[in-house]
Amino acid sequence: MRTVNRLRKSFLVLIAIAASISAQADIDIVITDGMNFARPIAIVPFEYKGTVSANPPHNIASVVAADLRRSGRFNPMAVSNMPERPISYDEINLEAWKAKGIEAVVVGTVEETAAGQFKISYQLVDVFKPKQQMVNGELVSSNNYVLLDRVGSASEQNFRFYTHQVADNIYEALTGEKGAFATRIAYVVVDRSLPRPFQLYMADSDGYNPQRIYSSEEAIMSPAWTPDGRSLVYVSFENGRSEIYLQQIYTGERSMIASFPGINSAPEVSPDSKQLALTLSKDGNAEIYLLDLTTRKFRRLTNTGTNVIDTEPTFSPDGKWILFTSDRGGRPQIYRVSTRGGRPQRITFEGEYNASPSYTPDGKSIILVNRTNGVYHIAKQDIETGIMQVLTDTQLDESPSLAPNGSMVIYATVYNGRQVLAAVSTDGRFKARLPAKRGEVKAPAWSPFLFQ
Amino acid sequence: MSIKGLGKSLIVTLPALFMVACTSTDTDTGPATTETTETSTTTQQPAPKTAEELAMEANEQAREQRIVYFDFDDSTVKAQYQDLLKAHAWYLSRNPATQVVLEGHTDERGTPEYNLALGERRGNSVKDILISYGVNSSQIRVVSYGEEKPKNPAHNESAWEENRRAVLSYEG
Repeated sequence: MRTVNRLRKSFLVLIAIAASISAQADIDIVITDGMNFARPIAIVPFEYKGTVSANPPHNIASVVAADLRRSGRFNPMAVSNMPERPISYDEINLEAWKAKGIEAVVVGTVEETAAGQFKISYQLVDVFKPKQQMVNGELVSSNNYVLLDRVGSASEQNFRFYTHQVADNIYEALTGEKGAFATRIAYVVVDRSLPRPFQLYMADSDGYNPQRIYSSEEAIMSPAWTPDGRSLVYVSFENGRSEIYLQQIYTGERSMIASFPGINSAPEVSPDSKQLALTLSKDGNAEIYLLDLTTRKFRRLTNTGTNVIDTEPTFSPDGKWILFTSDRGGRPQIYRVSTRGGRPQRITFEGEYNASPSYTPDGKSIILVNRTNGVYHIAKQDIETGIMQVLTDTQLDESPSLAPNGSMVIYATVYNGRQVLAAVSTDGRFKARLPAKRGEVKAPAWSPFLFQ
Repeated sequence: MSIKGLGKSLIVTLPALFMVACTSTDTDTGPATTETTETSTTTQQPAPKTAEELAMEANEQAREQRIVYFDFDDSTVKAQYQDLLKAHAWYLSRNPATQVVLEGHTDERGTPEYNLALGERRGNSVKDILISYGVNSSQIRVVSYGEEKPKNPAHNESAWEENRRAVLSYEG
């Protein structure tokens, strides 16, 4: 029964999401598990006051609802089930929402101030708990249930992305954690029917507005963002072998970072943007190097020697450590080394294969690819306890990339004989699949926060 | 796989042939030239092949097989490929201007970045063997594609078997 229920739930979700995402997305989102942990909320359709345009560029309420649903934390109510359609706090009948078990309600207005210019006002209301305030040195409940009261503006062009910022603000007000909807995801599409089968793309965090960054007859690998969110580093085989490039997203300007004999792989820019960690085999075997982006000098960080593979370097949030994969012990495991050098320390011991490590933003855990009994899954290891938790139940999982708020991991997996993207919450409860309309999709990289 | 099987039988039979031819070339070069001129002037018969030519032909056939397959997560060249690599080494050491690219590939299992290094390790394993048979290392270039250029893009066991490979590719 429970599975049937869950199945029906995800089917409904599928319909709601399919309706909210237009044809401008190459990747859809199908939530596969975890809605039973989500908090019930309502995003009431915003009132629209147009002058030139008959309709707003996008339906704010449905984009916000889809964002919040996709976080796994919230279960926004279907518009058809709403007891009323208020447009401001004054109009809300709290009892009506309480009766429906709704915890929070969002109401708002979109007003066209000039052709293609919009003013967006919205309020987030906690149905059960009024704000507390100090009165004569005592903390007392007020009559004010408004958690958030905002006014902003957006042009037609940035209207939808602004909508993700609205969702971020609501998410933060309700969870205490920064939202990561107004972010982007870079990924590689492989469509062998095209003359240039390998394509590097960037889309909004919900798969909307895909933009091609680069396309090639040869493979593209390992995209990673610079901390300012304005460039990507990646590996391209356009000259017949692996080389590392840095490309500015908005100008298209490209520069070659590394093209040594052997492999040039796994680039990642440090949190302070001053260094780039990478894997080179120019001195014989795959070792970790640091490139100073100002002086353009390479410094070798690991010295493992003959026939050992050291690769997949990533920085700790404070930039002081590098996590990397090494098979110096026979099988790939995760090691940690100071960016100043020194002797690496082994971090993982569970399972026959651990690779592709990255720190969570709080620095307390590592997200990685774990193979146990031949099965590849995304897992999380607590640094202090060493306890590992497998997060996914999909197949051939690889390339995990964390949302900048640490709430969600996007990764590549194989589903129905095709490589697709999938997402899982870092607590493992919420799972979603992101099927693409064409080709195979891999190597996802979640952008940093794009607004500070 | 029938094609694979065919490749294997070629490897077993042909090297033996060219090895025999190969050993006789050193001593037979002199008489071979006179024989050629004689036949061309006196008869319409096609010229009988010299030992050198026979060796070349046998070697060419032996070198038609250009792929070495590997076990999962392994970069050891299996014993069954020694004769094949010997054939390529024989050719390369006789043609020092010829360059060979060893493309290292992996199946899709595991991380793409680790696999890029694993593909290189496979290429290097083949390179080491060629060098041990007398090929100059300057004639060999190893290029790893990791899991990015599968021979068979399907996501199953038989595709993985085909994809774990090193390919010898001659330049020019």
